[in-house]
Amino acid sequence: MSILIDRTTRAIVMGATGSEGSFWTGHMVQLGTQVVAAVTPGKEGERVGDIPVYHTVRRALDARGHADSAMLFVPPRFTKDAVFECLDAGIKLIVTVADGIPLHDALQIRAAARASGTTIIGGNTSGIISPGKAMLGMFPYWIERVYKPGRIGVMTRSGSLTNEVTAMVVRAGFGVSTLVGVGGDSVPGMRFAEVLTALELDPETDAAVMIGELGGTMEEEAADMIRSKAFTKPLVAFVAGRHAPQGKRMGHAGAIVSGGKGSALDKIHALQSAGALTADRASMVGTLLAEALAHRASPRGITA
Amino acid sequence: MKLHEFQAKALFRDYDIPTPQGELASTVASSIETANRIGYPCVIKSQVLRGGRGKAGLVDIVHSPEEARTASEFIFASDWKVRRVLVEPAIDHVRELYLSFSADAPSGAHLLLASADGGVEIEELARTAPDKIIRARIDSIRGIMPFEARALAYDLGLDPAIAKNFAPIVEKLFRLYVEKDAELAEINPLFLTGEGSFVAADAKLSIDDNALFRHTEFQQEDADFDSDIAREAAAEGIPYLQFDGDISLMCAGAGLTTAVYDLVVDFGGSVANYLEFGGPNYRKSVRAMELCVRNKPKVILIVTFGTIARADIMAEGIVEAIGRLKPTCPIVTCIRGTGEEKAHEILRNAGLTPLIDTEEAVRSAVALSKGGRP
Repeated sequence: MSILIDRTTRAIVMGATGSEGSFWTGHMVQLGTQVVAAVTPGKEGERVGDIPVYHTVRRALDARGHADSAMLFVPPRFTKDAVFECLDAGIKLIVTVADGIPLHDALQIRAAARASGTTIIGGNTSGIISPGKAMLGMFPYWIERVYKPGRIGVMTRSGSLTNEVTAMVVRAGFGVSTLVGVGGDSVPGMRFAEVLTALELDPETDAAVMIGELGGTMEEEAADMIRSKAFTKPLVAFVAGRHAPQGKRMGHAGAIVSGGKGSALDKIHALQSAGALTADRASMVGTLLAEALAHRASPRGITA
Repeated sequence: MKLHEFQAKALFRDYDIPTPQGELASTVASSIETANRIGYPCVIKSQVLRGGRGKAGLVDIVHSPEEARTASEFIFASDWKVRRVLVEPAIDHVRELYLSFSADAPSGAHLLLASADGGVEIEELARTAPDKIIRARIDSIRGIMPFEARALAYDLGLDPAIAKNFAPIVEKLFRLYVEKDAELAEINPLFLTGEGSFVAADAKLSIDDNALFRHTEFQQEDADFDSDIAREAAAEGIPYLQFDGDISLMCAGAGLTTAVYDLVVDFGGSVANYLEFGGPNYRKSVRAMELCVRNKPKVILIVTFGTIARADIMAEGIVEAIGRLKPTCPIVTCIRGTGEEKAHEILRNAGLTPLIDTEEAVRSAVALSKGGRP
């Protein structure tokens, strides 16, 4: 199994007719994702590969039947509109890769997701992949030393660190059940704590790896999940930005240190005191994971 | 993008939020002359974007031309590179309040913060007496309702006559915050005068960079950047931070660049600049390296692990950049991801040694920066 997406997921793709959109839509299909329709206003009647294009989400669903999910290759300034079009059509999982969604749009997207019980992943992310099964996003799944199927759930705020850290998971002999890029924005649609809830319920996920960074409170919320026993599987965390100078903005809008709160060290401390294992360096993630799982498997390992 | 106080106050006035009637001055002489015209006592406030100017003595209340001279000379001579002061009449007041709007990421709401005890010690108050700060979430889709502004006024313990004057300030600040796509709109202190009216004694506004496309009225000034290189990088859309160490980071992706920064410090090195040329900038290798070279670093460290940002195209760009710029310092490359086999071939053909392990690359760069072998 996996979380959020698998072979049975039926997806539509908005913005599939652009160069990046069509490139990655092709790869999504190649990996096994069921893409039932594409949506680009003004281009109904065209095709992306074998996939028919429609003007609107409603018209796509009327013609092709139900869809569980929508993949958005839509520029940031049009993302809010596209998200609300999907919500209006009753789609329950939306992935948006747009980098640069205005903050107030992101707040409304997050508020709408909560109000409607919809899962919205992103923006500023590569998306989500269940290796060997399905992908809504842009991952070089053909790089085997990173995207090997397995039983570790990975969640990340950073696209560039995802490959770096996941390669270490694979190097230690593990693979990935589902990788969720929650994205690097300060207001993501789905938060780490919500990914953990899904990973906890997945019988084919044994442990989680979290790739965090300075800024915001998502890592602290994950620590709270462990403390309250809402997440009981091993969690290995890597948090970037331990030496980031205060007040400097390191690229991601979310990565702002203010008044010491939200610093990488605060997060690492919160996670450690909740019982998570933390890796100072990406290279340590695999070893810590092996340690945590061995500890869990052997009853003799469970000591005070 | 942070706005200066005088810019924020001009916007406040557009939204009918009262502020003191101040004037800008850019020299000691004009500052004194302005103070004389406004009358004493008045306040001379340096216009800088960094926080903590009050504690650094860069905001002063003055009672005479002599005091105006002393304060102005001190401000313009400080190492904060002050270019302008805002001179305002001192406002009699009986109370200082705090009011702000910002984003509450977990809920997707706007966060309204307010306190009847505002002023410079607000952060201290937040720590020692958090119940004195009222937090309310404002629905981001619906927007603020008049009842929410009224409720805040009464919860702050304001008298009914004063509450009637306060609630409109809350609604106006919210309107400005939303219409200008601010990530923060803050009034601290908000003066309550003896007559029961309100005046924004200070104004902080930070505009969401991602929304600047719909706000062409805001332009960053050259002097607001850390360095000329930082300004040029910004014009190019390349994320860049200026430091003063030995190793120029030319990496792809904010997360990876931040992690590489951590490793450089862990291994005892220092960073000359943070530069990120991933995502939409991965074809800008030449420009990126040019900016790095201008810092005269001891090493340029290139680390990438890209998806959309194709490794082979970045490698081609790097080789072209070396050919054009002929940097004299060593270059360490660790380029992986989509197209990496071809990238490594390109780098090897150009006489570089492509590494594939980030830690090895950083150790090598730190050793080279200290004059050692990789």
